Order: sequence, then structure tokens, then C-alpha cells
Amino acid sequence: MTTKSTPKIMALTTHCIFFDAYESAEHGLNTQKKIWALAQFCQSTGDFVDVVPANNNLTLYLKESEKLASWLPLLLEQWQETSTKDFASTHHKLPTVYGGQHGPDIAHVAAEHNLTVDEVAQLHSSKIYPVLFLGFQPGFAYLDGLDPKLYTPRRSEPRISVPKGSVAIGGEQTGVYPETSPGGWQIIGHTDFKLFDINATSPCAVKPGDTLEFVIQEVLK
Amino acid sequence: MITIVKPGMQMSIQDQGRVGARHLGIGQSGCIDPYAQIIVNRLVGNADNNPVIEITLGLAEIKFDNDYYIALHGTDMKASVNGNAIEPGWSFYIKKGDVLKLNAARHGFRSYLAIGGQWQLPDPILDSYSTDITAGFGGLTGQALKSGDSFEVIPKYNTKVGLGAMLPPKSTQIRIHAGPHAAVLPKDTIVNFINHSWHVSPNSNRMGTRLLSDECSLEHDVSLPSMAVAPGSIQLPPNGEPIVLLNDAQTTGGYPLLGTVIDADLRHFAQLKPGDFLHFKFVTLADAFKAKEKLTAHLNQLAIALKYKNK
Repeated sequence: MTTKSTPKIMALTTHCIFFDAYESAEHGLNTQKKIWALAQFCQSTGDFVDVVPANNNLTLYLKESEKLASWLPLLLEQWQETSTKDFASTHHKLPTVYGGQHGPDIAHVAAEHNLTVDEVAQLHSSKIYPVLFLGFQPGFAYLDGLDPKLYTPRRSEPRISVPKGSVAIGGEQTGVYPETSPGGWQIIGHTDFKLFDINATSPCAVKPGDTLEFVIQEVLK
Repeated sequence: MITIVKPGMQMSIQDQGRVGARHLGIGQSGCIDPYAQIIVNRLVGNADNNPVIEITLGLAEIKFDNDYYIALHGTDMKASVNGNAIEPGWSFYIKKGDVLKLNAARHGFRSYLAIGGQWQLPDPILDSYSTDITAGFGGLTGQALKSGDSFEVIPKYNTKVGLGAMLPPKSTQIRIHAGPHAAVLPKDTIVNFINHSWHVSPNSNRMGTRLLSDECSLEHDVSLPSMAVAPGSIQLPPNGEPIVLLNDAQTTGGYPLLGTVIDADLRHFAQLKPGDFLHFKFVTLADAFKAKEKLTAHLNQLAIALKYKNK
């Protein structure tokens, strides 16, 4: 990692800045850790209404557009001073029931990879998954690090209703449905862990940069 | 008590929307035309961010079980109470038992109804009463208003009949900022987008206005890492049909952006209905600042005028 290309910084509107480090030489989880740290710093200044990390990029929404000109150069300076260690994350354990009525697609996932249902549950629960960012619907966490042995294409026919708390695999990703919604991912289990509760003081239990772990409660046949 | 007799195509409770939770996947919601919302609230003596009812297309009826000041603004839906016209942009006094009837909008798409008083709704979520129809929370029930829905508004009589206010002018020329993806899209994509006019697809809703063109195709196969999106982001899915994201849009997306609608022009999307034509024009940040200042001046003038008239 000797060459480092500079992140791209661009005003998208009079009050919105896009900071893009995807093209930088070490893109991936390390860059994402710096993105979280930069997001945390920006949040702490009180200058922004919203600070939204996504895939190796960060979008910042200013309270006052008068501050746009001063923030554009400041971001790059701050990025250069940011280290991957600057971000303190919270770890969450999600008790998960794999298989049976809670994981109607686990047998399909197992068969796809010549694994047993138990092995799928073992592989899936043996990782610690960083929350890259949230999106798609409130509280939906994009997780990094699914074991390639579990990569499984989405269902050819999406389900009209996937129950809240479903643990699922879609392509190279895994995640939990925070609310009952339509969905095309392969459902392998269920967790009672509440990712999203609109009536709670902070409605989302996890934030970008946190880590998740699925803990086997039971593997149903 | 306010009772929805007929909601028409879509009716929902909205204020200026939610901020501060986009990083958790929680979108903005709120009135697509926040200026119309502020103006109707001022006409009935409410605070600017008081919730209003956003009415889409019309063909709706609302019953009032008390005397209230009301004001409607946005497009003309030929509204009436007991056969008397309720013109858009004026404050009216209506009596207990009255039913407000709205016909179909002809020249626009949405209208905003303010009712003077204290709205008794479930507690705000993240400081907003706006209904997030996609995620299913906020407003009265987390959904668009249905026939038979009702809620209390404790009336306040601190305005006058016959106060009037204009909306800032309509336009189908939409000013936009340049986006970050011009270089990754096929050559001429941006030029073709700007040089052609577009019409609104019937598949449009509060999540986004979908655009169609018979004259040009912007198909592509560019896939990008996800980034944050917001009302005003103009996404280009691979089918080449642009989507201008609106208030109920998701918070992240992976489609390339053609640009972003300037803040001051987002309100025009409240009135664009399926089949309407529009076109886009790039402007500078300085132009966008000026456009926003003009709207702020419009609201300031109204505040001064109302202060004088209410004396």
C-alpha cells in the first residue's frame, strides 16, 4: 500500500458534501473504519444535520450552507489525520434460532454448498460482522464478512412478506429484516433481537461501525 | 374532531419531515412542497412546522365537528363547503358539521390543508409528525389516511377570514447541480439528459418522480458502491429511466446520479402529475443560493404582511 490516491470531495448541493474514498488504494474494511471515524468527528462538530456513511464514502448534510466553502478543504485535512483506530464500536450478540419454520431456506442453502444444516448455522454464527452502513429500510444493516462458502443467490421469486427478525443471505451478503417486508433473500433463521423499534428513544439498536454476532440458540430440523 | 370521509388518491399528515437519522436508514418524509405548508399554516395562525394534510389529486371529503379556520394551497381542486368555493390561498371560517369537498386537480397534483389549532396526534417520532408511508410510522396510524380516520384539533381562533397569500411561481424547468458520476456513465448520457424533455411516469409516488422519454435512451450497465441519497438526488437505473427522489425515498442507493435538484426547485415536484413534461438545466452553487434566498424573501414578505393585517 504505497500509493494512496486522494479521496474525491464534491459539493452535491449548497448544503451537501460527498466524500468518496472508494477509489483509494486500500479500499475495503480499513477505509470503512476511517469513514466511520471521520463521520464521528463530523457529527461531533454540530455543523451537520445528517452524516451518512455508505460504501467507502460519506455524505454530509450541513445545517447552514454558509459553511460549505470552509468544510470542503477541512474534510481532506481531517481524513489525513484520521486513523483506523479512531473508532470505538459496540458489539451486539443476536441469539438466533436456525432452520425449521424460522429458516425455511436453510436446507436449500446447505444443499447448494454440500453442507449440513448444522454446518450452515456453525459457519454463519462463527463470524463477527461489522455493520458497514444502514439503508434500504430503517434499521437495515449492511454487514461485511459473510463466509464465501455461504454465498447464495437470492430467491428467483421474492417473498411477499418476510417476517421481522428473519436472518437471511442474499448473494454475498447477510442481514436481518428489521421489519416485516417483501424480500428475496434466503431465510436461514430468526432472531428476537430488536434492530428497529420506532417507539424507543433511539429507534435503531445498531449504528454504522458496530459489530454483530449471531449466537446459536437452537438449530431446528 | 376532523374526520376523513373520502381520502381520494392519497392523503397523509405531514410536517417538514425528519432529520438527523438518515445514517440509521430513516428517511425524511414531510411535505413535498414545504413552502405551501408554511404558507397555509400562517394563514390559519399556526406555527410554521405544524402538521398539515397533503392531498394528492383531490376527489376527497373531510368533515369538521367544530368551528375552524382553514386554508388550502397548492393546486386548485375546486374545493367547496356547502356549495361555497374555498379558493386556494385564502383563510376561511367553517362551521361545525361542515364538509370540505375537493374535486379533481386539473393543473397540478397536490394541495395542502391547514386547520387552525392544536392537532392531537400520537407523539411525534424523532421530532416529526410526518407519516413515513413506506416504513409505516408517524402521522395518525403510520399509513396514508383512510376513510373513517379521525383526530382531534383543538381550535384556535387567532387569525381572520380573507387573509390571502400567493405561492412562489410554478415551473417545469428544473435547476440542478452537477453530480459525481458524469465520467463513469456512457458518453453523452448527461448531455442527452439535459437536451431532452421528460415526462412523468404514472409509477411516480412520494418516493420518487419517475421520468420517461420517447426521444432518447439512457440505458447503461454501470454499477456503483452504495452512497447516501436524499430528496432531489436524480438516480439513473440501468433501464435508463431517471428517478428524481422525493421525501419518502430510501437513504442509500447504488445507482449512478445524473445530478441533484436544487433545494429551491424540489417544491415543483409536488405539482408534477403523470404525463407532465419537464426539463433540466445545470446551475451553479451561487445560482442555487440565490434561488433559495428568493423563496426565503417570499416567506419574509408574507410574515410582514400578515403581521400588519392581523393588527
